Amino acid sequence: MKKTVDVSLPIGPMHPLFKEPCRIKCETRGEFVLSAEVELGYVKKGIERIMRGRPWQEVMFLAERVCGICSVVHNYVFIEAVENVSGIAPTERAAYLRVIVNELDRMQSHLLANYSYCYTIEHETLAMYLLNLRETVMDQLELITGARVTCAFIIPGGVRCDLSADGAASLRTALDHIDSELSRFVRIFETGPLIGLRSKGVGLLTKEAAIEAHAAGPTARASGIPDDLRNIHPTYRLLDFKPVIRYEGDNYARIMVRFEEVFQSTGLIRTALALMKEGPIRGGGTIKAGTVRYRGEAPRGELLYDLTTDEHGRILEIAIQTPSIMNIQVCAHAMLKNAQSAADITAIFISSDPCIACTER
Amino acid sequence: MFSFVYYIKEFLRPTWIRSFLTAKTAPLKSPSYFRDFPQTTEKECTHCLACMMICPAPDAINVVQRAGVWQPEIKKGHCIRCGLCIEACPEDVLASGRILEYKRREELTLKGTYHISIDQKKCMGCGNCSVSCPVNREIDPSLRSSGTSTSDEVIMRVDTGQNKVLHEEKCTGCKTCEDHCPNQAIRVARVVEALQGGEE
Repeated sequence: MKKTVDVSLPIGPMHPLFKEPCRIKCETRGEFVLSAEVELGYVKKGIERIMRGRPWQEVMFLAERVCGICSVVHNYVFIEAVENVSGIAPTERAAYLRVIVNELDRMQSHLLANYSYCYTIEHETLAMYLLNLRETVMDQLELITGARVTCAFIIPGGVRCDLSADGAASLRTALDHIDSELSRFVRIFETGPLIGLRSKGVGLLTKEAAIEAHAAGPTARASGIPDDLRNIHPTYRLLDFKPVIRYEGDNYARIMVRFEEVFQSTGLIRTALALMKEGPIRGGGTIKAGTVRYRGEAPRGELLYDLTTDEHGRILEIAIQTPSIMNIQVCAHAMLKNAQSAADITAIFISSDPCIACTER
Repeated sequence: MFSFVYYIKEFLRPTWIRSFLTAKTAPLKSPSYFRDFPQTTEKECTHCLACMMICPAPDAINVVQRAGVWQPEIKKGHCIRCGLCIEACPEDVLASGRILEYKRREELTLKGTYHISIDQKKCMGCGNCSVSCPVNREIDPSLRSSGTSTSDEVIMRVDTGQNKVLHEEKCTGCKTCEDHCPNQAIRVARVVEALQGGEE
C-alpha cells in the first residue's frame, strides 16, 4: 500500500514564535501539509465561573483580564452589555472618549499582531520597528487612562476620567508620528521581495471557506467579507465608519488589512477629537435585572457577551464568545491544509492573529 | 595590520574609554500620571469603609486602627491598582497618579448603596447574622446571642423565628453576615453608581 503520510509534525505547545501556548498537529508528506489540527487547553482560567454572583465593579476587572492584548474591548463590550440591560446611555463626551481608547487599543493590538507576523517570517528589523511604534500607542493609553494594559477606563454611564487639552494635543502629535512612521513601514512591507515570497499566495482562504467557518475580523475582511460590527455601533456611525476590505485572502492581505485599520483608527480618533464637545463624562445609573446578548467588534473580530443580571446588578450567568476560536479553526482546516511548505505553518497560523487567552478564558 | 593599528587607536581614545567606563542608563521612573498603588494623604480617615466596600480584589485594602488612628492599608500583592478606592473615598484620604486631581476638579464620585436580601426558605432564624453584624452591635450592645433585640433601630433582628431586615440603609456592605450564615440564606449586594457633579 502506498504510504501517504510521512511525518506527523507537532508544533508547540511551547514554540519561540508563539505568544501563547497551543499545539498544531500537522500531517505532512515531505514539505507538503496534508491536514492540520489545533489543540487548545493549556491556559484555561475559568474566568466566567469567577464572574458569577459579582457586581459590575468586580466583573469589569475580570473581563479586562480575559485577554491582555485586547483588554479595553472586553471592558467596553461588557459595560455596554450591562448598560443595554438597564437602559443607561453614556454621555456624549464619554461615548467619544470610549471610541478613542478602544481605537488606541485596536492599534496596539494590530501592531503587535503584525510585529508577530514579521518576526515569524524572520524579518526582525521590521518587527522591531513595529514594536517600537506600538510603544507610542501604549504611552498614549497610559497618558489617558493611567495604565498601559489593564486600563479600567469604561464604567456604566461614562468613563473614569476626562481627556485634558494637553492630553488631546499630545494624542494628536502621537497620531501624526504614527501615520508618518507607519506609512514608511508599510512601504517596506509592500515592496520587500522576500516578504512577498513568504506572504503573497500563502495561506489562501477563499470567501466560501471563510463564510462556512464563520471567520471573523481582519481574517474575514481579508477574504472579501465586509463584516464589521462597528458598522452598527451608534458612536462609530457618527464618525462615518467604513470597513477595510481586501480580496486576496492570503497572509499578505491579512497583514495589510491590519495595517490599513491602524490608519483608519488614527482617522477615527482624529474625527472623534474634532467632534467631541465639553460636557459631563459620567451620567450615573445603576444596573437592573435582565438578559442580553451584546456584540462588539474586537481587534480580532466579533466579541459576544451573553449575560443575565439580577435586580441588584449582580451577574447571574455569563458566557463570552471570542472571535479567535473561529479564526483558529478556519486556519487549521482551510488555510493550513495544502500549504506548500512546512516552514509556512507558523507564518500562516500567526497571520490569522490567534489569541489563545481569549479563546480559553 | 593597518586595521589592527586603527582599532588600537580607536579604543585608546580618552573619550571612548571614559564613556565606556562611566556609561549609565537613566534610572527607570514611572511617569507622574501612572496609576500606582494608592498612597495615603494627610487627610483624616473617618472609618466609613467605602474604599473596602468598592475594592474588586479580595483583601487588598483594610481600614485598621494604628495607635488610635484609623487608616487604610494596602496589601501590594493583592491590590490591582484599579484606583476605585480613591474615587470612592469621600474624605480624599487616598491618592494615586492623577486620580485624586481629576476627581476633585470634575467632582467625580462612586456612590455605593447596599441591599440585604434574605432567602426565607433557607433562613432558620439562628440569629448569627444579626449577632455578627458590627453595626447592630454598635446600635444595640445588649443584642442577645439568639439575635433578638428590643431596639427598633438595628439593621436586622430575629423576629418570630426568622430574621427580618428593619433598616437596610444603615448597612455598610461589609458582608460579615454573609460569612456567618450557615445556610447562605442572607446576601448583601453592593450597588455602585458612577456620578459627576456633587450631590445628585
